[in-house]
Amino acid sequence: MSAPPNPTGVTGRRVAALAEGWRVYRADRGGLFGLAVLLLVVGLALLAPVLTRSEGLDVTRVRGEPLRPPSATNWLGTDESGRSVLLLTWWGARMSLLVGLSAAALSMVIGTVVGLLAAHFGGWVATLLLRVTDFFLVLPALVLAIALSTVLSRGVFTIVLAIGVTSWPQTARLVRAQTLTVETRPYIERARALGGGHRHLLGKHVLPAVLPLVFATTTLTVASAIIAESTLSFLGLGDPSMISWGSMLKSAMDTGAVTAGAWWYLLPPGLGIAIVVLSFTLCGRALETVLNPRLRGTRR
Amino acid sequence: MNPILRMDGVSVTYRGSVRPRQAVIDANLTLEPGATLGLAGESGCGKTSLALAVLRLLPRSADVDGTILLDGQDIERLTWGGLRAARWASASVVFQGAMHALNPVRTIADQIAEPIRLHSSERLSAAVSRARVVELLERVEIPARRRDAYPHELSGGQRQRVMIAMALACEPRLIIADEPTTALDVVVQSQVLSLLRRLVAERGIALLMISHDLSVLAASCRRLAVMYRGRLVEEGPAHRLASAPEHEHTGELAAAFPTIGDTASRYQGAGEPVGAAGSTRRPLLSAEGVSVEFTDRHRNRVPAVREVDLDVTGDEILALVGQSGSGKTTLARTLLGLRRPDTGVVHYDGRPIPTSGRRLRDFRGNVQLVLQDPTGALNPRHTVYEAVAEGLRVHGGAADEAARVHEALEAAELRPAEEFAGRFPHELSGGQRQRVVIAGALVLCPRVLVADEPVASLDATVRGEILALLLRLRRERGVSSLVITHDLGLAWNIADRVAVMRAGAIVETGPVERVLIDPEHEYTTELLAAVPSFERSVS
Repeated sequence: MSAPPNPTGVTGRRVAALAEGWRVYRADRGGLFGLAVLLLVVGLALLAPVLTRSEGLDVTRVRGEPLRPPSATNWLGTDESGRSVLLLTWWGARMSLLVGLSAAALSMVIGTVVGLLAAHFGGWVATLLLRVTDFFLVLPALVLAIALSTVLSRGVFTIVLAIGVTSWPQTARLVRAQTLTVETRPYIERARALGGGHRHLLGKHVLPAVLPLVFATTTLTVASAIIAESTLSFLGLGDPSMISWGSMLKSAMDTGAVTAGAWWYLLPPGLGIAIVVLSFTLCGRALETVLNPRLRGTRR
Repeated sequence: MNPILRMDGVSVTYRGSVRPRQAVIDANLTLEPGATLGLAGESGCGKTSLALAVLRLLPRSADVDGTILLDGQDIERLTWGGLRAARWASASVVFQGAMHALNPVRTIADQIAEPIRLHSSERLSAAVSRARVVELLERVEIPARRRDAYPHELSGGQRQRVMIAMALACEPRLIIADEPTTALDVVVQSQVLSLLRRLVAERGIALLMISHDLSVLAASCRRLAVMYRGRLVEEGPAHRLASAPEHEHTGELAAAFPTIGDTASRYQGAGEPVGAAGSTRRPLLSAEGVSVEFTDRHRNRVPAVREVDLDVTGDEILALVGQSGSGKTTLARTLLGLRRPDTGVVHYDGRPIPTSGRRLRDFRGNVQLVLQDPTGALNPRHTVYEAVAEGLRVHGGAADEAARVHEALEAAELRPAEEFAGRFPHELSGGQRQRVVIAGALVLCPRVLVADEPVASLDATVRGEILALLLRLRRERGVSSLVITHDLGLAWNIADRVAVMRAGAIVETGPVERVLIDPEHEYTTELLAAVPSFERSVS
C-alpha cells in the first residue's frame, strides 16, 4: 500500500479490530485453555534459569541414585545418571519449544509465500515454484536434514533450518490449493476492477482467507517439528550439550528405561509433547473463529 | 373426483436456536388431478417449505401442523414404508438447480433408473430398465445416445430435462417443481416450460410449480397462488391474478415483470437522456473490432467474442442482451480491461485503455464493475464500511474517507449509512448486498458502471428497486451503465439502447423502442418470442 494519509484512522481501525478479535477469542473456552497452558509452559520454560538451578543437570554434581521412582526428594524420579526427571523435563521444554516453534514458523513462511505466489501468478512462475516444491516433496526429509546438519555447524540453528526447509512443501501445496479456490471468488474480480494491484489482492483478500488454513497446518507442523527434533537428537545430530524432550526419550530408550519399567522417565517428556501440541491445536481453532466471521454466526 | 392434494390449515414452524420461526401459516390448498397450480412469492416467504411438506422432506427441525392429504392419504400417518412408496410413485419433485441435484459421478441413465429400481416390486432386468430410461429420455427430448453422459457434459437445459425425466420415472400423479427454470436463460427456459406443460397435459399429471417469477408461472399454470410472509394471500385463475390482482403484494410481483412494448413498464426517465446533446453524447467506452479467443483443454482455439464494435456513450444505459454462453461477460471483462482482446482495441474517452501502472488504475476508477452475485462479490470477512472504502484505499486513500463512504452508501440508498457500515455481508439481504456492491463502485465517482446481470439473483420487488437506482444514478450523477442481461424485460425497463449478442457477435443494435418492438434480426425475434408473458392490461 502507499502510505495512508490518515494514520490515526488506520491505526484506530486496527486497534478496534484487535479488540473485537480478542472479544471473540475470549468466548472460545477451549482456545482460552490452550492459550493459558501455552503461556504457562512458555513462561515456565523462560523462567527455568531463575526458578531452578542448572547444577542439577550436571552429571558430575548430582547426588541422586540412578533410575529411582518418584519420591519426596525427586518428584518425578531420576534418570540413569541420577538427575531429577522433573528438572530435565523443565529444561527440555526450552529446547523443544524453541526448535518446534522456529522450525514451524520457518516452514510456514516459506510454504505460504511459495504457495501464494505460485497460485496467484500462475504461468512460468508457478511452473518453477511447483517444480522446486515437488523436488523438496520427494526428497527424503530425514536424509536431507542429516546432510544439512553434517554440512553446517552443529547447533540449534542447524536443526531449525534442517526441519524448516524439509517440512514446507505440504504447506505450500495446501496454500496453493486454497489460494486457487479463493481466487475464483467474485470478490477478487471486484477488487481487481476497483484497481487493486497484486499486493492489495494478496494482502487484503487472499492471505486473510488462507491464514486459517495456514494456522491449522502450522499447529500440526509444530508437533511434527518437535518430533523431528527428537529424531535428529536420537541420531546424535542435535546439539549434544542441550537437553530436549526428544533427547530425553532417546536416552530413556538407550539406557533400557523401557525394559526396566521406568515409566517416570518416559511419561513426562511424552506428555509434554502431547500437551503442547494439544494447546496449539486449541489456539489454532480459536484463532480460526476470529479470522472467519462466519464461524461466529450461531453464537449471536 | 378426489383431489390429488389437499392441505388444510397447514403451518410449518422451524425450531430455531433463538426462537421458533413460522415459515408457513395456516395454508389451505386443493389440487385436482391434472390441475396445474403455480405458487409465487419472494425468497423466504415459505413457498418451498410448503411444497416440501407434502412429501415430508423438511428437515427434522421443522414442525408441521394441520393435515396434508396426498391422494386421499394423510401423510402424517403414513408409515415409513408407505411414505417411501408415496415419494416418487404418487408425487415427485423437480428440484431447483439441476447441477447440484444430480450426482456428478454417475451417468444420467443410472440416475433416471434409480427411482424405477427402488420402486419396482420385482427385480428388473437391465434390458427392461434400459428400455424405460430410453423411453423417458425421448419423452423429455434428449436423444437416447446421450444416456451414458455425465451431468457436466450436458447443458443447463438438458440437465433440467434429466431432472424432469427422473420425476416422471414412476408415473407419479403429482409433480412438484421448485424453481425449475431459475438458472436458465430465456430461450432454454421457454423450451423447458413448454415441455413440462405438454407432459403434464398429455398424462393428466397434477403440477405444483414454485417460482418467484409470476410470468413463468402464468405461462404454465392455470391457477396461481401468491404467498407473502408465510401466508397464502391470494389464489385464483392465472389470467385474473395477472390482470386484476386483489392483494397489493400480487400487484407488486406482477409489476416487477415487465411487458415488453407496454409503456407502463418503462421506468420513468428511461430513454430520456438529460444531458446536452453535444459533448456528453460522444463515446466514453468503445470497443473496435474486438475479438477474444479461449484455448480449451484440447488446445483448440474457441472464439468467445468476434469482431465486436460497441460504444457506450456518456449519459446512457446500454443493455447487452443474449443467451448464456453468447460471450456477453467476456466482452464486459474486456471492456473493463480485465482481459486483453486478441485483436481490436478498447478505447476509453478517446484513448486506448492503458495496460499497466498508474494510468490503468486511474482508468479502473472511472469504469466500475457490478457483479451478478452480490453474495460472492463481497469478501465475507470485510464489513460494509471496508468493502465500500476498499476502492478509495486502492486508489491511495482519501482524507475524507468516512465522509465519502457515507455519501456512497446514501447514494446507493442504504439509509441510514451508519447503521449499515459496521455490518458483515451475511447479515444483509440480497438486495442490500447488491447496494453495497454499487456503493463500492460509486465511491470512486465512476463515469461508467458495467453491471453483469445485476438483478438476476434478486427478488422481484428488490429487482425493481435496484433498476430504479441505476436509472437514478444516471439522472442525478450522469453515470452511464452497460447492463449485461439475458432478460429482455430488464432492457425494456430501463435501457436507452440495446445490443443483441449471439455466439460472440453483435447482431443488432439500436434504441430500445425500435429493437424490442420492431426487431430487424431474426434472432432478436426469437429471443422476444421466448420471453414468458401474461397479457396484463393489454388484453
